[in-house]
Amino acid sequence: MDLAIRDIRQHLGRFLATVVGIGLLFAIVLSMNGIYRGFVFEGLSLIQNTNPDLWVVERYRGGPINEQSILPEFIHYSVAAIPGVDKASPFIVYPVERRIGKERRRFTIIGYDVFTGLGGPKKVSAGRPISQAHYEAVAHEKLGLRLGQKFHLGLHTYTVVGLTREGTSSDGEPLLYLALPDAQEVIFQPDNEEVRNQRLRIYQNLVKPGFFTPQEAGKYLSHYSIDTHRINAVLVRLSPGAKTEEVARRIEDYLYFSVFSTPEQVDIMLKGRLNRPRKQLLLFRILLLIVSVVIIAMVIFTLTLEKIRSIAVMKLIGAPNRVIIRLIMEQSILLTACSYLIGWIIIHNAYQMWPRLVLLTPGDDLATFGLALSGGIIASLLGIWRALKTPPALALGEQ
Amino acid sequence: MDEILKIENLSKTYGSGRLAVEALKDINLTVNAGELVALLGPSGSGKTTMLLCISLILDPTGGKIRLDGETIYDQGWTAVDIRQVRLTKIGFIFQSRNLIPFLTALENVLLPLDLLGLERNEAHKHAMELLEYMEIAERAHYLPALLSGGEQQRVAIARALASAPKLVLADEPTGALDSVRGKKVMEMLKKIARENRTAVITVTHDVRMIEGFDRVYYLKDGLLNNRLEQS
Repeated sequence: MDLAIRDIRQHLGRFLATVVGIGLLFAIVLSMNGIYRGFVFEGLSLIQNTNPDLWVVERYRGGPINEQSILPEFIHYSVAAIPGVDKASPFIVYPVERRIGKERRRFTIIGYDVFTGLGGPKKVSAGRPISQAHYEAVAHEKLGLRLGQKFHLGLHTYTVVGLTREGTSSDGEPLLYLALPDAQEVIFQPDNEEVRNQRLRIYQNLVKPGFFTPQEAGKYLSHYSIDTHRINAVLVRLSPGAKTEEVARRIEDYLYFSVFSTPEQVDIMLKGRLNRPRKQLLLFRILLLIVSVVIIAMVIFTLTLEKIRSIAVMKLIGAPNRVIIRLIMEQSILLTACSYLIGWIIIHNAYQMWPRLVLLTPGDDLATFGLALSGGIIASLLGIWRALKTPPALALGEQ
Repeated sequence: MDEILKIENLSKTYGSGRLAVEALKDINLTVNAGELVALLGPSGSGKTTMLLCISLILDPTGGKIRLDGETIYDQGWTAVDIRQVRLTKIGFIFQSRNLIPFLTALENVLLPLDLLGLERNEAHKHAMELLEYMEIAERAHYLPALLSGGEQQRVAIARALASAPKLVLADEPTGALDSVRGKKVMEMLKKIARENRTAVITVTHDVRMIEGFDRVYYLKDGLLNNRLEQS
């Protein structure tokens, strides 16, 4: 006879209310799993979507995504000349907040060499990749731009020629792909007032006593222009048969840059920028799980206390301990399993509403279920201890 | 007559030293199969202590208890042995009925049969027979909360009889009932003693309820005396 089911049957309303309450808590636990996975996925998605064989960045920098790295643009020619390099392509990644249409939007500009294609969108979901050197853009669908839409950015107007739905910046912001010169202009070109200020500062330094005459300084300034030919990294595709380690060491030794493979970039991100938020989310997940187990333990303990006289009667008429242990443990497992199921249903129907990516994986779901179930079993121990301590004499009104 | 219970020089002392309280003093009692025995006495006289000792819930301080030919608490007895004796040889009826509230009347009776490992259909048939015997079969699928006090007590008796015990211990079985229902319950106890040859020991305050009992004992200050043969 299944005593646990029969007890639940009598308190069905309360059991269901408890299940929904703990279910909501499990929904939060599962959503935290998804937020954690989504955070890591988005943090690495640009690296993994770009996926060159090597990333060449400023010396001693872990860039261009984990930290800032600035290189002169021409350097990609030197990298291309290194034995073992098939293609070397300049790459810019830069988060901005600009007005697109009527709204200010946060997004990340990716500038790449549209002719080598390295660093460009992995897959275009609508339209085509950028094919001209200027004024074309491929936008992430989350940016809300339509195919063929024209929008103003910086000094020029761009046309959306393609849409993509893969990859976001490490902060989860949508990407806007531009040809390298366009990206350099949008990111590095200061506005006219700033150019005037810079020129004035330089002029004032040049005309100090003992340096240049105003005529000479003016002549020099006529040749002065703002340098936008900067990039954040050079992406490398190796020649067939070339060894990643060897080529990387050659570039480091000859050109005095830092070089990382894509798995190394992933590792740098995990140990660097993603490390503490990741640990914080993990800690939060663990705490939530502990809170759930404590609540289950309290509920089971209360349920046990309510039927302590019935347990005493069972002991008096000769019920072995295993019958009583089974009663309590089964209720705890049922409570945990039903609550988990409710939480699972809630989160799997609501995860799209979260502002950032919530990535639910069967592995995480299963692991959480296993942990919750173990927690449920542990939670029942308090109730079991109380039940086993109950003297059968209690059934006769004796304490 | 078959001897079911034999108590020799049973004593129970709570506490020790100057604080020691002798709840039972040198009790001797023999109960045979089919016998109805009543224990009367004021509050604190030791009735419940005696019942707890016979129920194997409380270890006596001294003396011997023989139940169905076996000496209880002999060397080597374990908690499992005691539980097994309670399950197979003793039936319990309480004042406050003590049915399991989340089990129906039928399931309450099925519980000891389930613990004994009886096959499901056989157990169900036996439980229904017991409920019919107690004239409560039509309420078999009701939860205790939906039964009257007298009906609950009849279900409790059916449960006490489920494992066909040699001895039934009833602690104030009519205490929570009016006199009509109380008499009905006592009639049931007499019926099971006579028809099943089950020994019944009843603790009660109400002398009106023990009419027709074979023996009545008075317990006072831990001493069992004034044995009165009624038949």
